[in-house]
Amino acid sequence: MTSTEQSYKILVVDDEPDLEPLVLQRMRRHIRAGRYQFVFAHNGVEALEKLNEDDTIDMVLSDINMPQMDGLTLLEQIPKVDPNIRSVIISAYGDMKNIRTAMNRGAFDFVTKPVDFEDLQVTIDRTLRHMAEWRDALESRDKLVALQNELNVATGMQQSILPTKFPQNASYEVYGKMQAARNVGGDFFDVITLDEGRVGLAVADVSDKGVPAALFMMSSRTLLKGAAIGHALPGDVLQEVNDLLLEDNEGGMFVTVLYAVYDPATKEMTYSSGGHNSPLLVHADGTSKLLSLTDGVALGIVSGIPYGQNTVTLSPGDSVILYTDGVTEAMNADEEEFGLDPLMERFNANPPSDPEETTTVVFDAVNTFAGEMPQSDDITCLVLHCREEPS
Amino acid sequence: MEVATERQGDTLIAKTDGRIDGANAREFQSELESAINSNDGAVLLDMERLSYISSAGLRVILLMAKVLQARNAKFAICSLSASIREVFEISGFDKIISIHPSQAEALAAFKN
Repeated sequence: MTSTEQSYKILVVDDEPDLEPLVLQRMRRHIRAGRYQFVFAHNGVEALEKLNEDDTIDMVLSDINMPQMDGLTLLEQIPKVDPNIRSVIISAYGDMKNIRTAMNRGAFDFVTKPVDFEDLQVTIDRTLRHMAEWRDALESRDKLVALQNELNVATGMQQSILPTKFPQNASYEVYGKMQAARNVGGDFFDVITLDEGRVGLAVADVSDKGVPAALFMMSSRTLLKGAAIGHALPGDVLQEVNDLLLEDNEGGMFVTVLYAVYDPATKEMTYSSGGHNSPLLVHADGTSKLLSLTDGVALGIVSGIPYGQNTVTLSPGDSVILYTDGVTEAMNADEEEFGLDPLMERFNANPPSDPEETTTVVFDAVNTFAGEMPQSDDITCLVLHCREEPS
Repeated sequence: MEVATERQGDTLIAKTDGRIDGANAREFQSELESAINSNDGAVLLDMERLSYISSAGLRVILLMAKVLQARNAKFAICSLSASIREVFEISGFDKIISIHPSQAEALAAFKN
């Protein structure tokens, strides 16, 4: 479907002169390999000229504050040139107002200053993958191909928004994975780098399948990332995402989300549920418990409602497992549900110590349990492990 | 999954059995839509024999609730098994949709 060997052209718009040499230097391997081509403009007016001259530009990466025409105005103009171009905004950290405006004007994603080039690279890849999927979606709509193709496209879009890199850290580790069901699906997860060393962790389940649901999933993810940077409390994050989703939700879609913020300095994890399953806390000795749920409604249904939060302090060696109902509701041939007990028993015998391995244990256990039964829902698992202190 | 319906006065009672998941949620939606008449004053979904409902099924219920609310018709569900009830509680749907232990209690609540 999508060839990663394809070459993409990216227009970088910034009035500050130091970004151009930095991009060329940091991205030199991709440029040499022919994967990316960069063109540069120094304000919105110049950017529009470049876009009008060159119809092979795939993506725009733009600063917000610029002379003559700023990035937000540029965002409004880009679809008039080519509605298939995807834009990513460079914003100041925590500048929720501009990030929101940018997203309302169709920005696909954003990166914060100072630009972390590894993060930028991941964001560019994700955006380009999404764009390729989107073009496929448009083509298949033109040809009126079967629902199955639409679902393939939706699954591709779904995969394109998942993180592929996880934070490596002296005090904690994170790993996540999503296994898409063949026909149905709406799960996603995200790992969001926050200020002061904190990290945001989210797992979510969108209520429908197909391209509209995939688009709803995209906006949920972007809104969540934006809100996560704008608010310290997980409940406030969910409240904001809920209200923003309701501004434009004709399809009656909703998304359940478990959003947690972990602060390695205090080892406190604060979490909020928007109609989602409780996280499972597993201690170093193998004992485990379900964390008590905050009673929030799934997002996208009722506006203006508050979301609460709970805080738990982790001990070294603890793991927190976030998951979707694809895990607990996996079914075997006898129509029994998997639940969580088999996992708790397994962890009791072998306490988890490595998040990637823990994720594998979860998926293997669910898949073995389900046996020959077809997977009826996406399965997602995101694990946070608080490392043992060196003795 | 089958939807069986009966009427008591201006109330439509729809009984659903089996599983509602992403694979048949659309079928569930169209069966409900064709069963509900525009002059039904209330709709009750009896879930006594439902074994499983996924979020795709919850979405159909949410859509029905919105459609009925928009024309001032009443809507409730009843007779949930423990596992189905848990799905409604975790998703927060128990806060936005009236849930009753039995048909009789739901029908009594409609009269108020």
